[in-house]
Amino acid sequence: MSRPSDLVQGTLDLLILKTLAVEPRHGWGIAKRIRQMSGDVLQVTQGSLYPALHRLEQHGWLKATWVSTDGGRDAKVYALTAAGRKQLAAELESWQRLSSAIQLVVSES
Amino acid sequence: MKRWTQVVALRVRSLLRRSAVDRDLDKEMQFHLDERSAELIAEGVSADEARRIARREFGSTASIAQQCRETRRVNFLQNLAQDLRYASRNVIKQPMLLVTAASSIALGVGANLVIFGLANGLLLSTPTASDPDRLVHVRTNRGSHASYSAWRDLEASGVMEGLAGHSIAVDMNWRSGDSSISVMPLIVTANFFDVMGIPIAQGRAFTASEAAADRDPRVVVISHGFWVRRLGGDASVLGSTLSLNGQRYTVLGVLPAAMRSLPGYGVSPDLVIPISRAVVSNLDAPRASHVQLIGRLRPDQGSEATRAALNAASTQWAGDDPGRTGFVRLVTPVGGMYQLNEFKEIALFFGMLLVVTALVLAIACANVAGLLLAKSVARRKEIALRLAIGASRARIVQQLLTEGFVLSAAGTVAGVLITAAMARMIARVALPLPIPITFDVAFDSRLALLALSLVVGSTILSALAPALQATRVSLNPGLKQESRTYGHRRFNARGVMVSAQVAVAVLLLVMTVLFLRNLGLANQLEPGFEAGRAIVAEVSFVEGRQGQAGSEAIVAMADRVRALPGVEAAAFSEGLPLTMRYGGNTGTMIRIEGRDGPVRVDYEDNSVGPDYFRAMGIALLRGREFTTADRAVNRTAIVNEEFVRRYLDGLEPIGRTIYHDADPGEIPFEIVGVVANSKYRSIGEDRAAAFYTSFLARTSPQRFAHLIVRSAAPADTMLASVKSEILKADPDAAVVVEPVTAALTFAFLPSRIGAVLVGVMGALGALLAMIGLYGVVSFAVTRRTPEIGIRMALGASHRAIGRLVFIDGAWLVGVGMLAGLAIALVVTRPLSAFLVAQLSTTDLVSFVGPVILLAFTSLIAGWSPTRRALRIQPAETLRSE
Repeated sequence: MSRPSDLVQGTLDLLILKTLAVEPRHGWGIAKRIRQMSGDVLQVTQGSLYPALHRLEQHGWLKATWVSTDGGRDAKVYALTAAGRKQLAAELESWQRLSSAIQLVVSES
Repeated sequence: MKRWTQVVALRVRSLLRRSAVDRDLDKEMQFHLDERSAELIAEGVSADEARRIARREFGSTASIAQQCRETRRVNFLQNLAQDLRYASRNVIKQPMLLVTAASSIALGVGANLVIFGLANGLLLSTPTASDPDRLVHVRTNRGSHASYSAWRDLEASGVMEGLAGHSIAVDMNWRSGDSSISVMPLIVTANFFDVMGIPIAQGRAFTASEAAADRDPRVVVISHGFWVRRLGGDASVLGSTLSLNGQRYTVLGVLPAAMRSLPGYGVSPDLVIPISRAVVSNLDAPRASHVQLIGRLRPDQGSEATRAALNAASTQWAGDDPGRTGFVRLVTPVGGMYQLNEFKEIALFFGMLLVVTALVLAIACANVAGLLLAKSVARRKEIALRLAIGASRARIVQQLLTEGFVLSAAGTVAGVLITAAMARMIARVALPLPIPITFDVAFDSRLALLALSLVVGSTILSALAPALQATRVSLNPGLKQESRTYGHRRFNARGVMVSAQVAVAVLLLVMTVLFLRNLGLANQLEPGFEAGRAIVAEVSFVEGRQGQAGSEAIVAMADRVRALPGVEAAAFSEGLPLTMRYGGNTGTMIRIEGRDGPVRVDYEDNSVGPDYFRAMGIALLRGREFTTADRAVNRTAIVNEEFVRRYLDGLEPIGRTIYHDADPGEIPFEIVGVVANSKYRSIGEDRAAAFYTSFLARTSPQRFAHLIVRSAAPADTMLASVKSEILKADPDAAVVVEPVTAALTFAFLPSRIGAVLVGVMGALGALLAMIGLYGVVSFAVTRRTPEIGIRMALGASHRAIGRLVFIDGAWLVGVGMLAGLAIALVVTRPLSAFLVAQLSTTDLVSFVGPVILLAFTSLIAGWSPTRRALRIQPAETLRSE
């Protein structure tokens, strides 16, 4: 069952990894961070966020732990693993290649 | 590496602690919802409203949870375990489906396992011996058997770890109480048990030193079957003696019950006896064929290296025998696939049977597929609902396949039970052959593998198509109260299946009828002699008692029998046509007086006494029969018409001289008579040439002879008196007296076995196909009930409705029949190898018969659904709409 999403699958992985490169966050935090950083342009739907998080965790790129938040509630917090950092570097590189290629095409006058 | 440990730990956790993982996921999503609500409340939205908005934004938690679960790779196993539980529950709740489907598959699987088990036991078995993989057949340029001296020399060369020989060519008289019975022992070289390492159930085997031929060994190892059948399982058998050919042999041991003998093909000789001059009189003949050689390879030496080494060794004695250069031709493994080459026809027959049983199973699977399709229509709503709430199609297909698997597995288990029961029955079958043949259907790894692949195959055949069909639903109508399609397609999935089933059934029935016709024709075929009132006595003499010239004893017996009241003729011969001992077959070069150069001839051999042709009822066309005057000094021969036609080139046969090239110094033959053609080796054979020599001219003593008696009285009234007269002449002879018709059972054996096996399979397949057809027509009527109701309400006549329902079935059956006939026309062509010459594989009866039979059974299968359609009450069906 696919649902409408503004984000291409591969891009979402990149965004999640990049968001977590600074510090570990929980799912809600990741969604909020992406929204803020993109100036409310990128809306990550929960329907794609959580399966993506679980997939990345299954790949061993993220590691999840339960921690207590300020409000005294347990939240599942994701952090990048060493493999995740490597994956982020690889995805960043391919993203840059792709975006500059697209840039070349669309900027041609 | 750390990453992998994490991945594995996660998967194990999701597999083992599934509910904990799911709880975590729920908690995680709940946290998200709460945070979002809190944010909204902070923006000034009311608490209730905030929760609603958060939930709406989030979407279906169930669907997200499912997607998260699917990212865990263990899903497949987990689903499988779940599906198995679900499917088992589902199947048990539908006992009718379970019983019909499982019994269909059980019959198909059972048929496959039994036939393959038989072929496995007869053709592919590995002999019971220690480390049988290193055992090889050693063949020389003289053929499969070698002489005793050749064995001795090859064994003495020390090339192989051990080299032994065995043979089942000679029979011995075993005296039990007052009568003698002819048994066929396995004659082996002294070192046989040492080399083979065959396990012994009781007692011990003989060793090479104690059984050496020169020491005239009088020891025997008996088979378990012989011990139980003939000796009544006597506990004190070890050390007791058996009287064989008038000599006492000490029983050293008993072979195990489940034993696969070295000769293979289920051949289970009663006795194993060391070779000696007492058993084989021409032991020192350098070119005789005494034993088949079996050797044990050295662990470090392959078969090709062994062959070369044996050849190198044999050239050393090539000096005294030029035939020994390039002596060892082949070294091939014992048992397994290599046996197939030797009995190609039997192997082919089993191959054909396996194709037949596979087709039977395919029909059975098609039936189950039909059932599952019908079920899936009823479950359409459930499936549509599950698809709507987020199950993937692959997931549902997997689940439906699991249901098919449960049915197939249940059916296969039942099939294995059927096989076990059949194996017991088959093990008791005793064929009318001089050597016991055991039919051993053992559950070895090959059979287990076949059973497993049958489960997989029948799962796919029976459940895949219904599963794909069932999940191909568009959601909306599926979810509504009922999906009613008034459009009707004749060749939908089920229709195609029925046509295919009918096609296969036609093919099976054509084969069945061919084999039944073959049996009928074989029974009607004229053997070329009058079997009717004739009696035959098979006489085996104790070595040395048949008379020095080779025929005194049998002449005396014939004289006594001839003196009995009512006897019209009594004659003796070496072979009796159409039995195991039919005489012989010779292919050689001869020179014929009046024709240039040598002529290549191929003829059936028999040496017969005076009056033979009269006793057999074979017409003497020219010249005379043999008389007591036809002795070795002036060699005479009688030939049949076919011999004259083929080889004499229009020359006058009577008085013509024939020289055998092989023995130039020998006295030539003079043809003194021409007789009518008859059958020699098999009832279905085409005309064969025959060359008869005089029994009285034999110079070597003959241990075995037939006495043929023609009397005015019915055959069975004469049996006892003939036997007693023969035994008066020699009380030590082993004598079996029976009507000639009974002795000919052997000739009809292949066609009978073929007719029984193919007939049973064909009938089974056809029956299953008919059940399938009934199910489909019946189901179609149920589905079209409203349509028929409307038609009736609008004034359609009963006749029109009947035609409507009937024409559907007729189309499916008709198309299937045409396809089946076309396939049969091509596929049955190779069967001619198993059929008598008079029966063509395009035999009209064999093709028209099945069509009529199937048409008739289809009528019956379609009748009751049609009648049901006619009883439909328009008012009722319309109200339920």
